[in-house]
Amino acid sequence: MLNILVLVKLVPDTVEELEIAPDGRSLDPASVRLILSERDEHALEQGLLLKERYGGTLTVIALDVPEVDDVLFTALAKGADRAVKITGMEPGPSTWTAAGLAARTLAAGPGLLPADLILTGVQAIDDLDGQAGPILARLLELPYVGITCRVEVDPGARSAVVVREYVGGVTGTFEVSLPVVLGVQSAEKPPRYVPVAKVRAAMKSQRLESVPASGESAVMRVEILQLMKPEATGRAVMLDGAPEEVAAQLCDVLAARGLL
Amino acid sequence: MTPLRETFWNIPKWAELSQYVLGVVAMLVFVYGVYRRVRRWRLGRPEVLTGTLKGRVWAFILYALAQVRVATDRFSGVMHLSVFWGMVVLFFGTILATVDWDVTRPLLGFRFLQGNFYLGYELLLDIFGIFVLVGLALALYRRYILRAPRLKSETLPTFVWDDAYLLGMLLVIVISGFLIEGVRIAALDPPWSGWSPVGAWLASFYQPLSPAALSAVHFGLWSAHGLLAFLFIASIPFTKAFHFVTAPLNIFLRDFSSPGALKKGVESGAEKITDFSWKQLLELEACTWCGRCQEACPAYASGLPLNPKALIMKLDAQLLRLPAARRLNPDMPQDVALHLHGVLVTAPELWSCTACAACAEVCPVFVRHPGIIVEMRRYLVNQGAMDGRLQDALMNLTRYGNSFGQSERARGRWTQGLGFEIPDARRQPVEFLWFAGDYAAFDPRVQAITRATARVFRAAGLDVGILYEAERNAGNDVRRVGEEGLFEALMEKNVQALGKAQFRQVVTTDPHTYHVLKNEYGVWGDGAPDGSARVLHCTELLDTLLQTGRLPIRKRLSVRATYHDPCFLGRYNGVYDSPRRVLEALGITLREMPRSRRHSYCCGAGGGRIWMEETPGIKERPAESRVREAAALGVDTLVVACPKDYVMFQDALKTTGLEGKLVIRDVMELVDEATAPAEG
Repeated sequence: MLNILVLVKLVPDTVEELEIAPDGRSLDPASVRLILSERDEHALEQGLLLKERYGGTLTVIALDVPEVDDVLFTALAKGADRAVKITGMEPGPSTWTAAGLAARTLAAGPGLLPADLILTGVQAIDDLDGQAGPILARLLELPYVGITCRVEVDPGARSAVVVREYVGGVTGTFEVSLPVVLGVQSAEKPPRYVPVAKVRAAMKSQRLESVPASGESAVMRVEILQLMKPEATGRAVMLDGAPEEVAAQLCDVLAARGLL
Repeated sequence: MTPLRETFWNIPKWAELSQYVLGVVAMLVFVYGVYRRVRRWRLGRPEVLTGTLKGRVWAFILYALAQVRVATDRFSGVMHLSVFWGMVVLFFGTILATVDWDVTRPLLGFRFLQGNFYLGYELLLDIFGIFVLVGLALALYRRYILRAPRLKSETLPTFVWDDAYLLGMLLVIVISGFLIEGVRIAALDPPWSGWSPVGAWLASFYQPLSPAALSAVHFGLWSAHGLLAFLFIASIPFTKAFHFVTAPLNIFLRDFSSPGALKKGVESGAEKITDFSWKQLLELEACTWCGRCQEACPAYASGLPLNPKALIMKLDAQLLRLPAARRLNPDMPQDVALHLHGVLVTAPELWSCTACAACAEVCPVFVRHPGIIVEMRRYLVNQGAMDGRLQDALMNLTRYGNSFGQSERARGRWTQGLGFEIPDARRQPVEFLWFAGDYAAFDPRVQAITRATARVFRAAGLDVGILYEAERNAGNDVRRVGEEGLFEALMEKNVQALGKAQFRQVVTTDPHTYHVLKNEYGVWGDGAPDGSARVLHCTELLDTLLQTGRLPIRKRLSVRATYHDPCFLGRYNGVYDSPRRVLEALGITLREMPRSRRHSYCCGAGGGRIWMEETPGIKERPAESRVREAAALGVDTLVVACPKDYVMFQDALKTTGLEGKLVIRDVMELVDEATAPAEG
């Protein structure tokens, strides 16, 4: 019986046109709609697959932000046993703060640790270098393997075989002892669809647990100084005609810009 | 000498009595068989029927007695009406003879089968007997010589050769009846034998026989005829012949909504045969295996795995395999025998359906395939079993309210570049609330048509507003995919948004939106205060505007065109004439495609197909078949009245190489062209 924890977070949905707030250091909340980070959705799916394969309980954990309830109820409808939100933290925590909060909450929350597997998305659009998993692993003093695309567990031997995928489809297979923190690149199957009726049923019949965030983050302090939108440029020039003509035009263009 | 029927001539008393005993036994077996089948239907979910008794009686007369839907295929019509009416007259003739001999004669002391009435009776029975034989000959010819494809069946719910059994039994019973009449006439030689022309003709063959031989032959034939007739009656509930009961019953109990309209079902859908409603189980039983649905089905014609006829027959077979109802414990675990999915019906079969309702439209006994298919899709959706593209579309619809995965805030973006504002119906009262729909609002290929529609409404001086980001996908195709919970969520949001707006009528260019808003939201009560419908398709509105002169035509279009009836406008809602009148008012000359109006051929987009991955091995996409059909008329334009048609046919032009030979135009683009104020 595995105790599986899946840490998920919500990120700004890039389908919306994001605006920068007047302070120049944050996104305008009016422009932001949050969505479950895509890799975290895979982490949840990987967790559900492991639970189905080996048995056990799956708890999904997220920071309390707007729309988090929908995400957690959806996870319950998909087959998670418990859903926990970490409440009462400062809005907009950085990856480092969030990872620290998560580590302390796992220790403080009832019945969460010891866990066999702690899964989270290997990266997020606001954590492209994938720090959350490694920081969490360090704070919990557990091993970390990232970019996973396949996980097999040997519960008796307290170990897992993890496949990581590199560029060009090259894979590496690793053996790691449990408990472990995994940064999931992709689940073994695409994340499942859960019908709206099941989510609504979960909202009626199940409840979300809240665990207050505790303690100050003492890991490290990183602050955003400035956010900027990409500048729109319209400087591309298309040259056409016969090769000789194109070459002549190109020379003219380069000469005009003082590059020849 | 008064002509008189010699009933039971040459029949010993014991045989006459045995006949009654056997008759009672046959009736008991028949009643028991009916009871067994009715008991199975009662295992279905409850379903409340709506409709008036007058409508039901009228349906019975039109479709069960006159069989107008059978007669749309002329060969079948002649065949079936001959056999049906022939057997009805012969059956009642036999009843009449029984009443005459065994009721009025012994009890009241008189016989009515005498004199001229009797002579007419003899003639009528001979004529209708001939009708039966002609009908049976046509049936046998079509089934076994022509081997019409639609009559072939993969699996029979009852037993192999059931078709042959039915035709064979009727044939032998009627022929033996004629032979008996012939022998009787040969033996008795009544002076009025000319009134039984067939019997008299057959009698000539028996003349050489001695009276004793005639008696023996007569008794033998009479016994065989009686035994077969009783066997046949007893076997009706166990064979295809049971459609004598279920077909008229299902016609009488028909659903009066449009052929593909859906009702609220169980969100978890049909996993077991008993998850269907009792009415749907009756529909399975009413199927006569005629295969008209198979002929009409665009999925089947394109080589997709769905055959609507085979689907219904397989489900009926599953129903008939159910263990006897009294042994069926409601708490029984999901028994393999009851389970429908995987082996019996595969997911690709179910996903092939475009919900075009051509099947239900042609069904002579009012089977509603789309409802049955959606019940089964609901099960698949509940299991999360669907292809990746469909899943993405549903997740987009859940999150953004549109299948395009675009921000809901972008819904009104098509209005940019119009040069005028479209009022926000949430902020100010409007006469017409324009519910644009997803494709019209988001698909870049359709947005130009949507803008043309806005110009037309403006040219007509209409007070029109839209809901901007408060509008959601209306949910028509979400419901047909089988995602009932999502449909309800979308509907709730739309009803909420509509509730905040003030308007007199809703108008839309999208037939899918039109159908579901009009017929499946169930929020309109009795319609607009002036008695008109609360939901209009733009062609209905345009029809009125052009007829009343409110929208003047400035330029007549000399276009030779054909018009494609969208499924959800035509078959689902019977709007066939408005778009044609609009096009003719613009000066367009219309030629009809062979498959038009209620027989229109689906573009292949409906039922959520537009969101699904393409099925490998498709022979000819429905849209390709359709543009070829249009091009074959020699017209230059295929006019559509549905955003999805526009997209599908544009693609089909490219894949068929008909680009440059045929253009696809939306009716609103043409109206815009004809009504635009002159430039300069």
